[in-house]
Amino acid sequence: MNTFAERFSVSGSAAEIRRAKEVIGEDDDFTGVMWGSAGGFGNLSKGVPTFSVPSVPDPTDFLRLHTDDHADPSCKIKIKHGTTTLAFRFQGGVIVAVDSRATAGSYVASGTVKKVIEINPYLLGTMAGGAADCQYWETYLGIECRLHELRNRERISVAAASKYLSNLVYSYKGMGLSMGTMICGWDKTGPAIFYVDSDGTRLKGDLFSVGSGSTFAYGVLDQGYRWDLTDEEAQELGRRSIYAAGHRDAFSGNTINLYHVKQDGWKFIGNYDVSEMHYNGPGGTGGYGYGVRVEGRTSANPAS
Amino acid sequence: MDISFALTGKGYVLIAADTTAARSIVKMKSDEDKIKVLSPHLLMAFSGEPGDTVQFAEYVERNMRLYHIRHNHELRPPAAASWIRRSLADSIRSRKPYAVNLLLGGYEPRERTPHLYWIDYLGTLATVPFGAHGYGAYFALSLLDRYHDPEATLEEGLATLRRCIDEVSKRLVVSPGKYKVKIVDADGVREVEL
Amino acid sequence: MSRSYDRALTVFSPDGHLFQVEYALEAVKKGTCAVGVRGKDVVVLGVEKKSVLQLQDPRTVRKVVMLDDHICLAFAGLNADGRVLIDKARIECQSHRLTVEDPVTVEYITRHIAGIQQRYTQSGGVRPFGISTLIVGFDPNDTRPRLYQTEPGGTYSAWKANAIGRSSKTVREFLEKNHKDDMSRDETIKLTIKSLLEVVQTGAKNIEINVMESYGKISALDLSQIEAIVAEIEREKEAEAERKRSRLAATAAGQAAMSQAAGTQQ
Repeated sequence: MNTFAERFSVSGSAAEIRRAKEVIGEDDDFTGVMWGSAGGFGNLSKGVPTFSVPSVPDPTDFLRLHTDDHADPSCKIKIKHGTTTLAFRFQGGVIVAVDSRATAGSYVASGTVKKVIEINPYLLGTMAGGAADCQYWETYLGIECRLHELRNRERISVAAASKYLSNLVYSYKGMGLSMGTMICGWDKTGPAIFYVDSDGTRLKGDLFSVGSGSTFAYGVLDQGYRWDLTDEEAQELGRRSIYAAGHRDAFSGNTINLYHVKQDGWKFIGNYDVSEMHYNGPGGTGGYGYGVRVEGRTSANPAS
Repeated sequence: MDISFALTGKGYVLIAADTTAARSIVKMKSDEDKIKVLSPHLLMAFSGEPGDTVQFAEYVERNMRLYHIRHNHELRPPAAASWIRRSLADSIRSRKPYAVNLLLGGYEPRERTPHLYWIDYLGTLATVPFGAHGYGAYFALSLLDRYHDPEATLEEGLATLRRCIDEVSKRLVVSPGKYKVKIVDADGVREVEL
Repeated sequence: MSRSYDRALTVFSPDGHLFQVEYALEAVKKGTCAVGVRGKDVVVLGVEKKSVLQLQDPRTVRKVVMLDDHICLAFAGLNADGRVLIDKARIECQSHRLTVEDPVTVEYITRHIAGIQQRYTQSGGVRPFGISTLIVGFDPNDTRPRLYQTEPGGTYSAWKANAIGRSSKTVREFLEKNHKDDMSRDETIKLTIKSLLEVVQTGAKNIEINVMESYGKISALDLSQIEAIVAEIEREKEAEAERKRSRLAATAAGQAAMSQAAGTQQ
């Protein structure tokens, strides 16, 4: 008699179960997704995660309206664009170097941003584009990597982790995600770097730089890069490249964060102030700046 | 910005695609393979919207493999072309279409005939003796109208392909540096040096 | 109402049995026998082939199938159920390559198959798969052969050697007695055939052998090869029997001589 009442009540056992089902996201239908890649645990997770779309006619237009600071400088949400990040592979592992400046338009919002996301002890992700998007989805990637480890009793490959992220952002293509990231790590195949961006592009490579300052970083990085760099040379190259971008690109700078990935996981090498690097270099070993480098020398040739 | 060419010759299909992956003005990579080997006698060059290209190409690749395992026989080139065309035709009518253009080259061992198909993101399928996508098409199509020989030997075919690439290098403002060339014939699929 | 627990699924009997799952195991026991044996760097699948009818095309009856380049599966039980499960597994193999780039590991696909089988014991309106499977193969970038088994209930386990289907108990006991670690290719094949001969009376023509030697390298033995090995086994058995007979005769003769000697003494 009271089954009808119970079905629609907000308290009581039926409501408890209903709520629990909502939380677990369980339903009784067989869907194709359940048979899909779910680590063999089709009943525990349902493949690619989803989130509900805002209730506006066109979410893409809505987002653009509120985030596009080119069209509307007074827009409410400003997505961080200025950045320089780089990563390269060499004989001794992977070097990851980034700047730490966050800009909102022409305003320097922060000078101490962590743009390297420590996914797990063997994987690093870099951050360019939307800070929130990178931070959220790369942390999420960390969760999935851990689950992969628990299910398969072996660490996830860099290829698989990056592919997971790439498939994920691809499923949100055209919905306003903005990310340009490098997934770096060491797996069974050795050191590896994958470039993944919000277009859904995923590239395997030896050397990448992403962000507004990337062209400046490439200028130094490409010229100094060799496979057989020593660890010290490689770290120095990463530092100099980010310095170059920090110096020339208005939207990059403040400090440099440097990481080195080896077989036994990544290691944080240090944080270096760009101005300090300009005038004195790391540990006062000589400034990187042009003025400092050519101090006292001139092109004038009075002798001839 | 992707450029791809393909042409048929006596008993073979040649497909060439540039190897650059660019993002705005920066070349992110200069050895990217944009030609998928779909089955022992099937090749596909893909170009178009970043992200879509690789996603679609891998989707096709896995389906071709699944067909091969299920039926113990590879899909024949005309059937593969029809399947791919239909996938794109369905896609263009979906909420999020794949913006991918393709050149599909195959060889049918039993009939000893090469097949070449030109497919675009709208779902157009054309059987062609030669084809091109991207800016390269503006230079190469007239060139191939003039120089293509359906009975060309492999050496002659490669020479014609080289003409296309040289012409693009000569006239296109931002021309790609390197190309990857693959061939499919009675012996199957392999990469060739230009 | 009172006896409905042995008709509908997802319902335990009072003493904790899922009858439908147990009936499925019975269906497996009616299926033809399949054997898997792991050697040092080889893994062999042997199955008992049912004799095809005179006008039937034998190629359309398959008990051993490829799931991917590096994984093979043999099953015992209902053929039609097997076909459905195999197709699901093949799709997963390609889907896995698509989503994480790497091919599946043998354990992964085993777990996936077992997962599907388990689901069919816990949902309304479905019945369990009436098959057990043996899954063999090599993991990518690895040289160790793998052998797994799944059952209708959704359990899975790894084995050195195992058998499923008709008389699998006899075969398993035979394998337990004769399996050695680190067998060579030929030894492994021989043991597989030998164990199958325990239950296949008709000999070589009803045996199918598939050998996997490394990642993606798989081959089927043809009839003449199997016949040769069967003949060799027969010869060995014959010789063994001969030895036994002569030993028996010798002891009998000895005993007779002794008793005779005793007789003369008396």
